[in-house]
This record gives sequence, C-alpha cells and structure tokens, in this order.
Amino acid sequence: MRKMYSNKLVIFSLVLPGLLVFLFAILAPICLSVYYGFTDYSGMGKATWIGFENYKTLAHDTKFFTSLKNSFLLAVGFICIQHPIAIIVAAILDKLQGKAEGFFRCVYFIPNVISVAIIAYLWKFIYNPDFGLLNNVLKAFGYQGQINWLSADNAIWAVLIVLIWHGFGWGMLIYYTGIKNIDPVLYEAAAIDGSDSKTTFLRITLPLMKPVIQVNVTMAIISALKQMETVYLLTNGGPGDRTQFAANYLYQQAFKAFKYGYGNAIGVVFIIICLVVTVLLNNVIFRQEEV
Amino acid sequence: MEQAGKKKHPISKVILFIVLLVIAVIQIFPLIWLLDFSLASSNEMFTSGLLIIPEKIQWGNYAKAFVDGNFLLYLKNSLLINFLAVAFVIVISIMAAFACKRMQWKLSGLVQTLLLMGMMIPIHATLLPNYKIYSALHLTDTIWALLIPYVAFSLPQGMFLMGSFLESVPKELEEAAVIDGCGIYRIIFIIVTPLLKASITTVSIMTFLNNWNEFMMASTYLSTPKWKTLPFSVLEFTGEYSSNYAVQFAVMALTAAPAVIVYIILNKHITKGVAMGAVKG
Amino acid sequence: MKKKLVAVLMTAAMTATMLTGCGGDKAAETADTTTSTATDEAADAAEDNAADAGESAEATGEAVTLKIFSNLPDRKNGQGLVEQMIIDEYMAENPNVTIEVEALDEEAYKTKFKAYSMDGMPDVVSIWGQPAFLDEVLEAGVLAELNEADYADYGFIAGSLEGFKKDGKLYGLPRNTDIQIIYYNQKMFEDNGWEVPATYEDFMTLCTTIKDAGITPIAMDGGDGWPMACFLTDLLVKVAGTDYADIVSNAIATGDFSAPEIKQATQLLVNAADAGAFQTGYDTQDYGTAQNLFTNGQAAMFVMGSWECSMALNEDIPEEIRTNIRAFTLPPMADGKGGANDIAAWNGGGYAVSANSEIKEEAIKFLNYMYQPDKLSKYGWENGVGMSAQDQSPFMTGNETELQKQVVDILKNATSVSGTPINDCGPSAFKTTIESEIQSVSNGTESIDDFLAAIGAACK
Repeated sequence: MRKMYSNKLVIFSLVLPGLLVFLFAILAPICLSVYYGFTDYSGMGKATWIGFENYKTLAHDTKFFTSLKNSFLLAVGFICIQHPIAIIVAAILDKLQGKAEGFFRCVYFIPNVISVAIIAYLWKFIYNPDFGLLNNVLKAFGYQGQINWLSADNAIWAVLIVLIWHGFGWGMLIYYTGIKNIDPVLYEAAAIDGSDSKTTFLRITLPLMKPVIQVNVTMAIISALKQMETVYLLTNGGPGDRTQFAANYLYQQAFKAFKYGYGNAIGVVFIIICLVVTVLLNNVIFRQEEV
Repeated sequence: MEQAGKKKHPISKVILFIVLLVIAVIQIFPLIWLLDFSLASSNEMFTSGLLIIPEKIQWGNYAKAFVDGNFLLYLKNSLLINFLAVAFVIVISIMAAFACKRMQWKLSGLVQTLLLMGMMIPIHATLLPNYKIYSALHLTDTIWALLIPYVAFSLPQGMFLMGSFLESVPKELEEAAVIDGCGIYRIIFIIVTPLLKASITTVSIMTFLNNWNEFMMASTYLSTPKWKTLPFSVLEFTGEYSSNYAVQFAVMALTAAPAVIVYIILNKHITKGVAMGAVKG
Repeated sequence: MKKKLVAVLMTAAMTATMLTGCGGDKAAETADTTTSTATDEAADAAEDNAADAGESAEATGEAVTLKIFSNLPDRKNGQGLVEQMIIDEYMAENPNVTIEVEALDEEAYKTKFKAYSMDGMPDVVSIWGQPAFLDEVLEAGVLAELNEADYADYGFIAGSLEGFKKDGKLYGLPRNTDIQIIYYNQKMFEDNGWEVPATYEDFMTLCTTIKDAGITPIAMDGGDGWPMACFLTDLLVKVAGTDYADIVSNAIATGDFSAPEIKQATQLLVNAADAGAFQTGYDTQDYGTAQNLFTNGQAAMFVMGSWECSMALNEDIPEEIRTNIRAFTLPPMADGKGGANDIAAWNGGGYAVSANSEIKEEAIKFLNYMYQPDKLSKYGWENGVGMSAQDQSPFMTGNETELQKQVVDILKNATSVSGTPINDCGPSAFKTTIESEIQSVSNGTESIDDFLAAIGAACK
C-alpha cells in the first residue's frame, strides 16, 4: 500500500491538471503583469522598460488611495450592518419552525442567484430620482422631496446597500447553519437557569458562533477589496471617483486611458494587498483560536 | 423549554415575525417591481405609484427580449460552460485533493498551498494579462477563454472542500481495495468518489453560483455572440433598447428567471450544499 | 415556368453583380430601387449563376468573412439601422461575402477597441477622428492607409478629412458632422408659454422658470462624462468665439488650463448645475436615462449631438413627443465673443480599415461602398440621423422632419465651426481625466481651480 501511495508518477499525474490550470490561468498572468508593470506599454505598439516609474506614480495617485478607502468603507459596512442583521435574523429563524422558516430562508436567498449584471441595472432604476422605486416608496409615505441616492456623498453608501441586499441571504444562511450546529443541550441548560432569550443569544449563541463569524468577516473584507462588477455597472466609479475601487480603476487605466503598463502596476499592488490582508486576517484568527 | 418561552411572549413573537416579514419584503419587492413594469409599456414607468396595473399587458416585451436578446443561445452557452466548468473542477479537485491528502510525498504541502493560493488572488487583476495571453494563443472568443479562468478560480475552493471531506473518509476501505488489487485511479474514481457525494454537491453548487453570474471576463474575452453567456442579454439590451425601458425590464426578468426557478425547485438541496460548504470553510 | 423563374433570377443576379462594379458612380443612385428588389433569393441565385455572369469576378471570389466592429448597438433605429442596411445590401450584392458585426455602445466599444488593438483588429472598425482617440491608435499603426485621391468625388465636406490624417496620410473617413444641440419639447414650451431663449441669460432664466414649474429643465447624460464635456465645449465657444481652438490646443500643449475663458466656461457649467438646470442625479445617469427623461416628457430639454435627430422618427418614443422635438443651439452671452452662429460642431465618428487585416482589399472595397454618396449619406438623411460628412443636398426631398430642417439651417447659417470638442483634443489620459473630473466640478465636490489643475496634469 505504502509503495503504491508514494508512486511519484501517479502523484504527478494526479496533481498535474490542477497545477497546469494554476500555472496557466493564475501564475502566468501574474508574471506577465509584473513585467508590464515595469513598462510604459500603452496597450498598442512597443513597450519600453521604465523601472519603478509606475510604482512611483502610484504612490502619489490619490485615486488609488480613494479606491482603497472605499474598500475599507465597504468592509466596515459589511461588518457593522450586514453581519449583525444576518446573525440576528438567523437566530430568529432558528426559533421558527415549520414552513415559515423554509419560506423565509428561500426568499432571503433569491437575490443571490441573480446575476450581478441584472442586479446593477435593476438598482440603477431603483435609485433613479425621477421615477425610481425608492423615491416612490418615500412618496408613498408622504415625503415630497427628491433624494439623489447616487450623489457624490451618498453614492458609496448606495453601492453598499446594493451589495448588502445582494449578499444578505448568503451571510444569513451561513450564520443560520452555524446556529443550527450549536448543541441544543446548551440551550436547555440556559433555560433551566432561567435566562431569557436575549441573554441566551448573547451568552451562548454569539460566543459559540465565534469561528463562523471570524470566517464570515474575513470573507467580507476580502470581497470588499475585490469589489468590481456592481460598481462597474452601477456607477463606474462615479460621480468623479467617489465610488472607485481598485479593480475598476486598473481596468479603466488599462483599457480607457491607454496606460496598460500602469494598469498592470496597479494590478500587482492590488494582488499584494489582497495576499497580505488574507494572511494577516488568517493569522489574527489563528492566534485567537490558540489563546 | 423553548415552547414555554414562546407562550410567555406572544407579542414579541409577533414582532419578530413582522421583522422577518419586512426583511423578506425588502429582499423580494424589487424583483416584483421588476416583473410588474416588465409587463407595462415604457411610458407607464413614469408614475409615482409603487406598482401599477398596466393598461394593457405587454407580452410583446418578452417576445422582443426573447428574440432580440438571443435568449436561447446565451442560455445554452451559459449552461454548457457552467456544466463543463463544474465537471472539470470536480474531477481535478478530487484528484489533487487525493494526492495531497492521502498520498505520501515530500512536496504535498507546498503544492497544496500553491493551489489554494488562487483563493487569495483577486480575479480581476488577471483580466489584463490574461487577455494578452489568450489573444496570443488565439483563445479569445472561444469557449476556453471562459472555461480556463472559471475552472482556475473555482478550483482552490473545490480542492479545499474536497480535502476537508476526504479527511473524514475512513482509510480502511482503500486498504481493502488495495488488497483486492485495485489500482490508484480505480480507488479514486470507484471507491472514494462515491463517498464524496455530499461534497461534490457542495462544490458543484458553489462553482455554479460563482460562475453563473460572471460577466467581466466574458465581456473582455468574448466578442461574437457565439459563446456569450446569459448576462449579455442584459448588457447588450441596454444599448439596443435604450429608449424602451419596459423591454429592458423584460429582458432582466427573463434572464434572471432560469436561476431563480431552479433555485426555488432545488431550494433544499442548495441550502444544504451551501451550508455544508460554509461549515467546512 | 421554370425557365421563366431562372431567367428572372439571372437578371436579378446580373444587376446585383453589376452594381458592385459601379463603384462611386452616381449611376448607382438610379439603380438603387433595383437593389432593394434584388432580395435574398437573388443573392442565392447570384451565387449559383455567378460563373455565367462572367465579368464580375470580384463578386464571385472565394468566400470571405468580413468582420465589422461598430459602436452602434441599436441596429433598428438611427445610425445603426443605416449601417445595417448597407451591410445587408452589400451581402446581397456580394454573395461570397459574409459580414459579421460586433456592436457595443461607445464606452464599451472604446475599451474593447484598445483591447483589440493589442492583437488583431476586426477588418472594418468605427473610429473617431480626434486626437484623444486617434493619436495613439495611429502611433501603434493598427489602421490601414487609404488613398485620398480615391475619394475626390465622394463629396466630402471641405476639411472633414483633416481629423483622420497623420503626416498627410489618410487613415479613416468621417461619417457625420456632429453639431452640439439643445433639443426641446415644442409642445411643452407652447403649453407653458416658454420661448426659445435668444441669449444665454434668457436661457438660464428659462431653466429656473421650468424648474419652478416642477419639470426638469435639461436632461443631461452626466454619467458618461463626454456629453458634459461637449456642453462645456459649447459654453467655451460662446465665451471665446473663434479663439476656441487656439485656447484649447494651447492649454493642452502646456498643461495650463488657467486661461480666463476656460475658467469662465467652467464657472458657467457649475452655475447651471447649481441652479438645478439638470435633472437630480445627472452626474451618475447614463445616456438612456437622460434621453428617456426627455422622450417621456419629464424634461423640457435634452443636450446632445445632432445624431439624435433620429428621435423624430423613433417609434419607441410616444408620437406626441416625437413629432414635437425641436432644436436650438446654445444662445450667445452678453459678454461672450461667440455669436449665435458660432457653433460647436465637429466631424467625429467614422470608419477605418485594420492594417493587419488579412482581407484588406475586401475591407477597403466595403468601406468605399459604404461611402458611395447614395449609401451612408443618403440613407442617413432618409432616416433622420443628422448631417453626414458628405454633401447631402442632392437627397433633400422637402419631406424631412422639422427637426432635420432646423439642423440643416443651423449648419447652413453657421459663421464658424468649433472643431473637436475639448475632451477629445488631448491624449486619452486627458480624456479619461476630464470626463471623470467634470462630474466632480459640476456637482460641487471639487473647486474649479482643482479641476483645471487636474486636467492640466493629465496632459503631461
């Protein structure tokens, strides 16, 4: 058995497809990005090696920092708005029995299976100040003004709302599963001690959910960093650069502003940031678990 | 115990129920709004009412969306590409996970980390260089231009899940199989794979959900309608029918429909699958 | 019976194949009706009978697939319809040629164009004869050189080819003459007793009046950036008059946009936005949204180029509004150098052939076919898409829409024409910057000085 399980040829044949895909679709483009990041390639014609010039420019590029700031805002929004609601709703759902529970879970999850392309266009209409759904809802409640949901000050929050709305079902479902996995004996013990549902939630549910919360929060931060599709279609970074995100910005620079080299430099920095953040988050969580 | 608690606070239960209901309305109302106006005519959009009863139900909007949105072709492409991506991800991830978790070799840890790294790489950072690679290899506008990145970016997750499920599969079965004279490949695909059914479901669902909605790569790497996927119906329509909102709504509703219908039918399995992935992940 | 049918098909095929040979001849114009009857059957027949037709070897060549990349996604209205009509005709006349069209709207088109230019372009492409677009494209050498002498009798308006040249060589042909226009809803104006303003000051007063009446004065596509830059161009033309081109090219060359005229024009744009002349949320709304506000009677005016004249014929627009669309140009200012007839207009969009096309000959043949005076120009005119870059006077029938007549008059009465709009005058980094920053400056999140500094920095 051991001999067979350490047959190099067999092992090689098993991991080869995976490695090939990785090399071809992930590693090779990253290497190419690193190369073009050092050039002034416009996307056409010749590429000239310019060393760290692109990176120097990037260090002073306020738009790039705006995009990072937006990612940060988004992550905070996820963590402070979406996740608390998702946990609480999951806890309430857990108490419900029968058909109602299944119905709510199903309804909450539906936006998740709809394409971002549709979601973004739909929300463009929902936000429209003249005939959009949101302002009409306000009108129905008697508010007469006309709110500009995508104004310079509101736009980033408007984007956040769309993302929260779209991803709510997913987060809720994961928390819901986490809660379901908590040993019911613990709840019974709490009930015997006479604690009410609020105390039970704070004392038992939340602490036991810690690992799930940590994973979910990590995912939220990473997805905030990687945000592109929704913004690309909803605002394309506007008004001005108020809703700019790194991925959208590098796309714009490469394909619109004829700065393919610079776009790649942004891409390289972007990859590094994502790697560092992921590793950091993992370490923080890992360390906490050890304590 | 719980029961007793509930009886004590019937009012709070009602409140909780209302909260759930409000959230459900928030989640679903925009879609109802979409459906409603997709059956109206364009100029009826400019009302201040929330929902309207169209003067005349405009089924024609859907006819236009169906035909001019290339609905059938794009749906076929989407299905084909996604099924292939799922199949590749499952086969490759089972093989790689087995090699890394079960087999004994020095570099297993390194290879595993390498393959899992894909999870951390922002997919959009590869848009620019990949475009260059694919066009140099004449892969743009072919099915491969989508399949390769779709598989590549779903593979790490697939491998991770397969790996963690594999650890819970007892080794005894394999040992027995070895004694019976089974080769490695037979062990993997005949003995182990059926035991991974649950994780295969999970990986399939996750991969499907990841890629079904993707359009950034599709719109960069594809040019002719030949392989375009469902989101393109919407993307192209907003240009073609810029002056006809109702038809735009119809095409949005139409392209959203397949996934929503399948989800509602398979609701339980999908929920279970996602939940399982969540706990392991 | 059978014989008769064959004979009919033969003649049809002959006509079809002969037509291709006619080239830019005016004769093609008279044969035009025949072409439209030469339907698909004829095309099929032509394929079969091609050998008999003999002379027209070019039409019988081996199967060719011509790829066209277009910025006109709407193939059923306006300019896109015209383009598609010509393509269909060409395919009917040249059965060996299959034409594949990929069409994206302008922003997506330009993005994809750059992607294409890295490695192999479709054979015939839409281009813009403006530095922001063309400079880098020509630098990279992706467009084929055309022989200018070939187009001597195509009736191009004097000077319209200039934007498509580099070092005296021609690389593309202009499709339209674009005029910056303010469309208005005549019925709404009459019902409310509003009048077309004679001065810029009146114009602003009118906007306030309209706003007070609870209607959006101007529908503005601010989300895309370029329509606002075109509006800024118009303002600058009214401020600086014929000095416009010098001021802009000077600013771009030096990266210094502090010229008082530019400052004043920007200030006027900011003031207009401040006064609520545009719809709420204009700075994130796209072309379709802005246009729909206007075409559904939610806005009184719509700022856009003359290519939108086809609105008057677009059946998706309610008839009551469609037939009431009229146009005026930005009125002159009391202290401005530009008069009422100094207009913002340019030859922007056009077509070119890819330099590394494997079927360059065929592509150029198709290009020339499109530009026969009775094709783009004539069909464009008949479909109300505004002014072409060629002499259209032979096609005037007197049955044009009111809107078309107005636009013709605007161009006819023009005392000066501005040329390229400001955002297209510099390198593409400048274009990207100004189109994004103009949103910030107009909505008040950026000061005018910062705006001018930012667009200046992008020129370097």
